[in-house]
Amino acid sequence: MKRYVLLVIALCFLAIYLFPLYWMYLTAFKPSSETFTYPPRFWPSDPQFNFAKVFVEKKMDTYLWNSLLVATGTTALAAFFGTGCAYALARVRSVWMDVVLFLILMMQVLPPSLMATPIFVLFNQVGLITTPRFAVILAQTAKVLPLYIVLCRTSFMQIPKELEEAARVDGASRVTAFFRIIVPLARNGILVTSVLIFLQSFGEYVYSRSLISQENLQTATVGLMNFMGPNTTDWNGIMTYAVIYVTPIVLVFMLLQRKIVSGLTAGALK
Amino acid sequence: MSALLRSLRDGRGFDGALALLALAYLFVFSAFPLIYNIALSFQEVDMFSLGDLIRPFVGLANYRTLMAAPEFWSVMGNTALFVGLCIVFQLGIGFGLALFFQQDFIGASYLRGLFLAAWIIPALVAGAIWKWIFAGDFGVLNYMLMSLGIVDERIFWLSTPAISLYSVVIANIWLGIPFNMILLSVGLAGIPKDMYEAAALDGAGAWGRFWHMTLPMMRSTLGAVVSLGIIFTLQQFDLFASLTQGGPANSSNVAQYWSWQLSFQNYDIATGSAVSVLMLGFVIVVAFLYVRSTREEHQA
Repeated sequence: MKRYVLLVIALCFLAIYLFPLYWMYLTAFKPSSETFTYPPRFWPSDPQFNFAKVFVEKKMDTYLWNSLLVATGTTALAAFFGTGCAYALARVRSVWMDVVLFLILMMQVLPPSLMATPIFVLFNQVGLITTPRFAVILAQTAKVLPLYIVLCRTSFMQIPKELEEAARVDGASRVTAFFRIIVPLARNGILVTSVLIFLQSFGEYVYSRSLISQENLQTATVGLMNFMGPNTTDWNGIMTYAVIYVTPIVLVFMLLQRKIVSGLTAGALK
Repeated sequence: MSALLRSLRDGRGFDGALALLALAYLFVFSAFPLIYNIALSFQEVDMFSLGDLIRPFVGLANYRTLMAAPEFWSVMGNTALFVGLCIVFQLGIGFGLALFFQQDFIGASYLRGLFLAAWIIPALVAGAIWKWIFAGDFGVLNYMLMSLGIVDERIFWLSTPAISLYSVVIANIWLGIPFNMILLSVGLAGIPKDMYEAAALDGAGAWGRFWHMTLPMMRSTLGAVVSLGIIFTLQQFDLFASLTQGGPANSSNVAQYWSWQLSFQNYDIATGSAVSVLMLGFVIVVAFLYVRSTREEHQA
């Protein structure tokens, strides 16, 4: 009996906590006349489907495409540069590797809004600002690479060393053993980490706002900011935009929830 | 030469090369900008000298301008208040929820994971949602507070100078709760169950067990969570951009947003980088303490 009471309380906590998300979905479905009624309604009496209209009017295809590009590029770069390093950090125990890990952990904490100034000046000087989305990918990769390494490292640590040694006895080189044995065994961890990095980069804002000046190259976050403007009242439209943007993220998260949570917790405290 | 190649392909050099690849990337795109930032803060930088390699050296002039700015101390005060309040409430609420979900009932771990749904959405979108919830005339928060009788008249959350910072604090606490809760749950799960049973047999009450067993056992986890909290709170930018933009009249401005504003809205890059240097220095000190404490924990 007590367990059911606890379950009901837990559901209440969750409902209160996730209310803002509910409010977003609700507002997106309300007709605009109902948005500004007082007292507000907590259930839509006449649900509207303005998604196609907002999508076309706010040029969300361009924005989402740019966000997708930034997220894909960042994830690919992070996987390219980070996977090997995570493996090396998991396998070798030496003073040098401790120093490497320490440096990487220090790079993880730099706030992007503070790094935006030097990165902007620097990229401006070497001409990277002329390819702004690529510039955002480079900057964002530097931001997420440490996290990628730390999270992947824990999944490499779970692979028994004997498996690699057996392959070596059979004549495989280090390179072959890495690509044929180690990476396939760690692929779950690598995949979950990549998804996490992808979702984070899909919502990136600071660098996109600072480094991209042309409107048709900007990401979905910047598009949402432009839509909000200083004195906006079109909350139906904004919440519809938000729903279109966020729903895929929430769906992916729900599917991988268990793995993301365990990956995160293993990495963050070690 | 061939020995080096063989070592790279088939020996110890392989690990070193892999580690150096990532380190080199981080050096070019993180460490170097960090150093460059310090140099910038001692130079005269404007839109004309932006592309130059060598700019006039001005010593501490940028820092003097910064300290003399009328908003400097209020922004720094706001930053401290923002970080302090966020940490206290995120930690308190997160700890409470972690203890609650530690109990044995159906779906406890699944429901706990669902809290992270708020953490995974882009902070800018969360800011948009909260801006709508906070809205003065038709916002749902004012409606709830008024119908519960907590306040008598509408609060203009985002446009009242005395309140605007606290509104951002509320939104940021909301964003930070799940992460705190999950990390603390991991710490709680690490405390052996039979210890509690033994204490209960000896007649220790629930409060006594919490105070004399849970808290001391959680000391290192709490330390880690607080340091991570400071680091993440100082990274918060999107909520300020979407909710108040530091206003009205800098009443809700914090250092990490101010630095960006100076550089990208006032084009005062030199002063912006000076703020950035101060804050980055602080973050690095906190991170250093955090990393060192977790390393020691690991060896012990």
